[in-house]
Amino acid sequence: MKRLEPRHWIFVGLFVAIGCTMLLKIPLEIPITDQTQKMYDYIESLPEGSPLIISFDHEASSLPEIKPIALSILRHAFRKGHKLIGVALYAEGTLIGYRLMQETAAEYDREYGRDYAYLGFRPQYIAAILSMGESLEQTFPQDYLGNDFQDIEMLRTIGNYDDVAGVISIADGSLTTHWIEYGGGRYDVRILAGVTAAMVTTYDPYVASGQLNALVAGLRGAAEYEKLIDREGGGNRGMLAQSTAHLYVIVLIIIGNVAYFRSRRKGRG
Amino acid sequence: MDIGTLVAGLLTLAVLSFLYRDNPVYKMAESLLIGVSIGYFLVVTWESTLMDTMFEPLFAGDDFWLLLPLLLGLLMFARFGRRVAWLAKIPIGFLIGSGAGVAIPAMLYARTIKQMSATVVPLTTSSGWPDISGIVVLVGVITTITYFYFSREHEGVLGRSAKIGTYFLMVFFGATFGFTVMSRMSTFIGRMEFLLTDFLGLMY
Amino acid sequence: MERRLPLLVCFVSGLLMFIMYFSSHPTARLINLTVPLYWQIVFAFTLIIGVASYLRNNVRGIKKGESRPYRIVSVGGFVTMVAVAAIWGIKADTPFMWIFENIQIPMQSTVFALLAFFVASASFRGFRARSIPATILLITALLILLSRTPLGNLFDFLPDLADWLRNYPSMSARRAILVGIGLGSLTTSLRVIIGIERTWLGGDK
Repeated sequence: MKRLEPRHWIFVGLFVAIGCTMLLKIPLEIPITDQTQKMYDYIESLPEGSPLIISFDHEASSLPEIKPIALSILRHAFRKGHKLIGVALYAEGTLIGYRLMQETAAEYDREYGRDYAYLGFRPQYIAAILSMGESLEQTFPQDYLGNDFQDIEMLRTIGNYDDVAGVISIADGSLTTHWIEYGGGRYDVRILAGVTAAMVTTYDPYVASGQLNALVAGLRGAAEYEKLIDREGGGNRGMLAQSTAHLYVIVLIIIGNVAYFRSRRKGRG
Repeated sequence: MDIGTLVAGLLTLAVLSFLYRDNPVYKMAESLLIGVSIGYFLVVTWESTLMDTMFEPLFAGDDFWLLLPLLLGLLMFARFGRRVAWLAKIPIGFLIGSGAGVAIPAMLYARTIKQMSATVVPLTTSSGWPDISGIVVLVGVITTITYFYFSREHEGVLGRSAKIGTYFLMVFFGATFGFTVMSRMSTFIGRMEFLLTDFLGLMY
Repeated sequence: MERRLPLLVCFVSGLLMFIMYFSSHPTARLINLTVPLYWQIVFAFTLIIGVASYLRNNVRGIKKGESRPYRIVSVGGFVTMVAVAAIWGIKADTPFMWIFENIQIPMQSTVFALLAFFVASASFRGFRARSIPATILLITALLILLSRTPLGNLFDFLPDLADWLRNYPSMSARRAILVGIGLGSLTTSLRVIIGIERTWLGGDK
């Protein structure tokens, strides 16, 4: 067995820091940010039974971060009795989206076809966004389960974006940008999003310009949303571990810089 | 523990073994992931696009216009024949041309005009005081754009502006780094939760 | 002919879609619906070509004995997915989805989780205050990270300062990048449609 290198010790430190704090299970008090509150307020303000499109625009890789966001938004929307239409613009989001909708719908006794429907996946996201703007039925002649569009009770009144209260894009990349620019820009549909923390700064200009109406960001955003709907989930459970990981990285940066300045001073000497 | 959790747990550990160093177990897991991912993507796209939107309506005799994209799609295979390879450029021309046609208004309106108009806002508050944040945004946008202006050498006013632009860019990169750390840690926390709860049963 | 026909197709389809953007005539709406559906179908064929190349490369590699065990596992994974989909379908609760949920998702998210370790390692080894821009970058990152910990909540100003940095200076730089990309995409799209930009045709003419 080879000798461990310094990076290995950094890895071990991260493992121990996160593992130990997860086992401690201490809840953390977190303040609610404006953007999370906006998402909550919008879903809350809609009249019961409002149709919403939930677009699962993510891959399997980001599921640990995306799942708590999606679950808390879905729970809120189902609890309010809204009609949810699920779509996936990434192939990997297809089954994940279906499972999440199925799971949360069961918690609130929502029925497939009457309270929610899952249309499945279409490739070429710009093409899918544009064609849905003209006709949802033409874009998805059948749902994910193979039922004809017109046979699904809640979809009979849905033609295109004009008939929905908004699109909530659950994304781990820049796909929401296309919803904003093609869906929002061209068809004037209201766009809201739940995204991974890494993508937050990408969407800040759209939030500032009002093109993106609400942004729930990362595990922290999920924890805030869980607090708002008063239902604990993966977001809240991960907060202490995430804070510890942040402190660990901060300490590493400080140690690295102290070592750098000391070696520079020695070099000068 | 069900077989699915056992398989998922062992494969998770196989991938994490890369942290020690590259090894055959990790390479096996990586190869399996590549094959399975390609298979998944192909099958889902085939089923949801070619079957649902093309073959089924075509065989049902609902829409013979669908022969057009079928022909365009088949032309893509012309690239395997040396003499007819150029025919594959027809569907590519269709994809690129129509994509560009759709992109022009979107880029102009939703990206450029909307973003610029959000920058040009009153620089004083309702009480008459300067709006520091608004001024910062205006200066930030202008100086960062000058940093990306490469048609003239960055000297004099342009050079100073570009230099200020780099400071704004550094704030952006710093913020992005901070949020990226959060994101990556969240993903790892999710995997640890799986290992500690479902796989090892240490946490409930 | 070999170059003119693809260029003509590109020009006509580009111009058509550009004009249709500004019209809500039923014919325009039909075109706006149909053309994106055609993209999806043509794209599916390009995917088949990609998969054919993947298979050809791997089968060649297996024959030559280059990384044979790994290539066999990779092709085996691919063939299994296609086979189980052909036999049992791809909807929920099929073997296809069992593989997706218990093999693909855990591995893919764990590969992504590895980045947490490399980010931590990079923070220690490369994140140094060597110059003014590097110091600005470092301080911003520290403030953002600190504001998301319980320590950050001990100082009232810290979360507010981090949010201000994100919402104004950082946002303005990102906005400038967005506008730059927007203008770049706009001009490139125009050049493609009118045939000035022809690199997609290949060759050097």
